[in-house]
Amino acid sequence: MILDLHSHSVVSDDGRAKVRNYCQWIRKKELPIDGFVLTEHRQFDDASDYSGLAREFDLTILKASEVETEYGHVLVFGVTPALVGAFDFTDIALPLARVLEQSERHGAVAVPCHPGRTRVGMCAHVETRGIPDGVRIVEVYNGGSRGSEDEAAQALATAQGYQGIGGSDAHIVSHIGRCATRFPAPVGTEGALVEALRAGEFEAMSWKSKN
Amino acid sequence: MEIEELREKFLKLNFDEAEFHVDGDDIVGFARACGETASRYTDANDPDFQAPPTFPARFHGRRMLPRDIPLEGKIPLDAGKAVMPRKVIRAGTRLVGKSYLNEIYEKTGRSGRMIFLVSRMELFDEADDLACIVDSRMVVRERPRE
Repeated sequence: MILDLHSHSVVSDDGRAKVRNYCQWIRKKELPIDGFVLTEHRQFDDASDYSGLAREFDLTILKASEVETEYGHVLVFGVTPALVGAFDFTDIALPLARVLEQSERHGAVAVPCHPGRTRVGMCAHVETRGIPDGVRIVEVYNGGSRGSEDEAAQALATAQGYQGIGGSDAHIVSHIGRCATRFPAPVGTEGALVEALRAGEFEAMSWKSKN
Repeated sequence: MEIEELREKFLKLNFDEAEFHVDGDDIVGFARACGETASRYTDANDPDFQAPPTFPARFHGRRMLPRDIPLEGKIPLDAGKAVMPRKVIRAGTRLVGKSYLNEIYEKTGRSGRMIFLVSRMELFDEADDLACIVDSRMVVRERPRE
């Protein structure tokens, strides 16, 4: 099963894509993904229900978050109401250690995203702050990152023994599915996604030059 | 700029009020510039002649932001607009626009920290009914520390 693990809808302040339009695009363009995860900026979108769209288009649509830390942006998969209460998702200077610790405590998984990017990626902060404890997975393919930024992310992952995921970071419809993550078994819920990430059996994929 | 301080001092407080007259020629000009082809927007003789839903985005009050907001000399950049129509607006209508800051938030990007200010103008018609809401998003970039 292939899921795009990083996307934004109009629920994010800079998102310009409606979830229905992502679904239509994936089917019209016959993209080789089975679904996507909405990782809205600095919030968890508990209110939206995409189950109808998921059935209509036979796609898996899951929800997660993208928060901001002193090490850059971080995807959080498996967000629960208790985790939303554990720290302020709107804070743009969250301590990464706290995000990792609270995610672990509440059954979620935190993954630094686009680590190769200036200022908002982990690589930019490692030199001054050191390698943070507790990171196991980073995003090695990001649809919005430049080639050299993905290369820096992959180099960090190799050097530190991190596993890598892929996500498009789509904010507009035509960017969905540029990068994704392949899992060996179906992943139909947020809980199953967390289990699959913890199991460590996945592979980052990129179609950036083709889409 | 401390975000909490800005919120406490400026959120939800009216800082501007202005009056607008909806002119039929302006509606036609706006609609054509947008590429509209429906005659209810482009033909003043159409029995259902009205302003396109995004027409109120052209209205600007006397101020875009509160007079004393501390931007430390930085000029805010346009970061997009959102129009939420509530009633059909027709030629000849007089609208009163009341503005306030509806959202103040921050985020980080490749260029560093950014502060977003969302100025909301609520437009009321002669019956004092809310005819439209226009959000103007502005961004102020902080100079990154190298």
